Amino acid sequence: MSENILEVRNVSKSFKEQVVLKNLSFTVKSGETFGLLGPNGAGKTTTMRMIMNILQPDEGEILFQGQPRQRLKGVHFGYLPEERGLYPRARVLDVLVYFGTLNDLAPRKAEVEAIRYLDRLGIIEYTDTRINELSKGIQQKIQFIAAFLHDPDVLILDEPFTGLDPINQSVLQEILEEFKKKNKVLILSTHMMDQAEKMCDHICLINQAQVVIDGSVSNIRKRFREDAYYLEADAPIPFISSLKGIQILEEGKNNYKFVLEEGSVSLAEILKQVEQKTKIRKFEVFEPSLHDIFIRLIQEQTEVKS
Amino acid sequence: MKNIFRVARWEFVSRIKSRSFLFNTFISPFLFTAVITLPLFIFNLQPQITTKLIGLIDLSGQNIKEELQRELNRNYRLDNRSSEYLVMNVAVNNSSSYNRMASKFEEIKSRLDSVSLVYDQIKEQRMEYYKNTRIPNRDYVLRTSYEKLQNTREEKELIEIELSRFKTALDSLYKREAQRMADSLLYTDVLNAYLIFLPDFAKTGIVEYHTKTPGDLREVERFEKILQTIIIKKRILNDQIPRSKLQRWFRPIYLKKYQLLQEGQQEWNFYVQFYGPLIGVFLLFMAIFTAGGYVFSSVLLEKSNRVIEVLLSYVTSSQLMGGKILGLGFLGLVQIFSWFAITGILLSTGIIPADKISYLTMQNALYFLIYFSLGFLFYGAIFVTIGSVSASEYDAQQINQLLRTIAIFPVLLSLLVLANPNAPLIRLLSFIPFLTPSFMIMRIPLSIEPITFDIYGTILLMIVSIGFMIIISGRIFRMSTLMVGKKLTPQEIWTWIKIK
Repeated sequence: MSENILEVRNVSKSFKEQVVLKNLSFTVKSGETFGLLGPNGAGKTTTMRMIMNILQPDEGEILFQGQPRQRLKGVHFGYLPEERGLYPRARVLDVLVYFGTLNDLAPRKAEVEAIRYLDRLGIIEYTDTRINELSKGIQQKIQFIAAFLHDPDVLILDEPFTGLDPINQSVLQEILEEFKKKNKVLILSTHMMDQAEKMCDHICLINQAQVVIDGSVSNIRKRFREDAYYLEADAPIPFISSLKGIQILEEGKNNYKFVLEEGSVSLAEILKQVEQKTKIRKFEVFEPSLHDIFIRLIQEQTEVKS
Repeated sequence: MKNIFRVARWEFVSRIKSRSFLFNTFISPFLFTAVITLPLFIFNLQPQITTKLIGLIDLSGQNIKEELQRELNRNYRLDNRSSEYLVMNVAVNNSSSYNRMASKFEEIKSRLDSVSLVYDQIKEQRMEYYKNTRIPNRDYVLRTSYEKLQNTREEKELIEIELSRFKTALDSLYKREAQRMADSLLYTDVLNAYLIFLPDFAKTGIVEYHTKTPGDLREVERFEKILQTIIIKKRILNDQIPRSKLQRWFRPIYLKKYQLLQEGQQEWNFYVQFYGPLIGVFLLFMAIFTAGGYVFSSVLLEKSNRVIEVLLSYVTSSQLMGGKILGLGFLGLVQIFSWFAITGILLSTGIIPADKISYLTMQNALYFLIYFSLGFLFYGAIFVTIGSVSASEYDAQQINQLLRTIAIFPVLLSLLVLANPNAPLIRLLSFIPFLTPSFMIMRIPLSIEPITFDIYGTILLMIVSIGFMIIISGRIFRMSTLMVGKKLTPQEIWTWIKIK
């Protein structure tokens, strides 16, 4: 199966005087979950709107399989915008069939797919209910179905997990995993860093109209590793802070994050001493979370600019 | 292209079953027709249950009552042939002040009578004195009788002056008292109305008509007509024309109106000629604004609930706009064909008399369809623009209301159109695209001569205007639909119009 590639190449976009995106580039490969991250106003929604062909870039281009976005034929996109809404007086199945047919599904096929997804998300009983009679959570599930009902080649979800309960979050994750396996391009935009960390293979962090970092999650985490260690024991071990050549970064009730000063005490020695006092529950090389990296990079960029 | 039809189908299907569409198609036209024609029916078909009592205060001393009653009887009778109007003099016998004055008047009158008698006797006596030359002391007798005659004449003249003064005062009191009495009779609904004839009514032509309902135009018109006849008769009689001729001259006249049409003569009926095109304009207005209103609310709804963003990610803005206009325009056509079908049923069952309404033709139905389509496309494009640039539904509704007012404006000039459908002002206004459909739909059935130039001219102008509006609205729609809750400045809109 050949790999599908979506490329955003040197894209810039301004609204009047305000520069929203400046020379933005990244590449998304099929089979990976791509996370488009950034603080509010970073330009995420504009980027997604340009990928969806709702807006056109002032400069640069967006390519899918090497073909410019505007000239693509027969490639289907699915989109769940952050600001969501449906036709309040329409019936669930009618809305889903309408969105399906707009993406070239035959009405009958759209109906079958809609019912299949409604069943999978546990809301089959609302098939003939009017949208305005449904709760917000159920409306959100219907919007999800509308976004991937037609089995798009590229699926873009803006803040997909907001407002969903944990059970439905995992159902959605499951569906997205399946989607990813079908060699499709999947782009998520989210503020929930733990979700991004769990779901994304590749992230691109944008801030103030520019890419701050772009790469696989594991590489980024490695890059921001501080050579720190994390140790968690059964009981408090206060003596650790008095050991020579150790610098405590964070201290919890039974856990510690620390770094070793160069050429001082060895790691094996410290672990030995701790084990003499209490049992070690967990020990690992500490890798920063995406959340920490995100905050650090944004802060750094803001400081540089100011 | 397929997506245009998909959007059109969605818009059509989701609206055709809506209550508002069914109401506007099947209830509103009947309600409107009822609202404008019911008063007319009520006006013409007022139940003739009882004879109406008309009070009369006659200060002319010309015994108007008989004449008035005669004229009224000649023109207006109830279904059972009895009089529709009964005239009665308003009596003032119960007024003590009037009675007192009247008795004094009578007293002066008797004094005048007795003095006149004495005066006549003296004159007679003097005649005898003249004739009889053998009367002793004839000169003396003649002189003294002359003095007596002089004195009596002087007394008679004084009494006459007094009587005349008293008569004026008595008439004034009579008028006041009679009016007071008539008012109370009017107030208690004994009288339907009362008339006051002043002494010089024949000269001035002024007669007072007092009623609780001066707005009852039918009654007013009837009395004007009758009084016109009476007054003219009086004036003619004053000019020494024999009464026998008058009867013939004043036989009631009825003007039977015919209109010359290309296909021949047809009896002219105000109600058919006026209300028909008016209902036509209303239906056209309804069709344009029902479908146009749906375009408008559809854009507003999709914008306010953010569906527009998803839609624009699957279809282009021109496909979305085109689909809406196509689907809802088709909805408007369904509405019009429903009305054609209803009209057809009413014609075939004879409820609408086809032979009396010359303008119910296939050609005019075609013009109706053409002007609907043009009006809808023109206003539809404007509605798309308003829907997409409005920051809130409230703002949008205000502009919508303004557009409706402009479009219905020709109805205000409907009487002018009826009088002369091809007047220069009306022709000029017909060429303003906002007003074209309404004016043309009134003018086509009313005009007796073909207005081919105006029809083709307005159609051409509308097509150009629609093209222009669609280009502008397309550009604005493309740019503004993603802006939510932000009030746009005219400069921003102008910038978008310029972007290709």
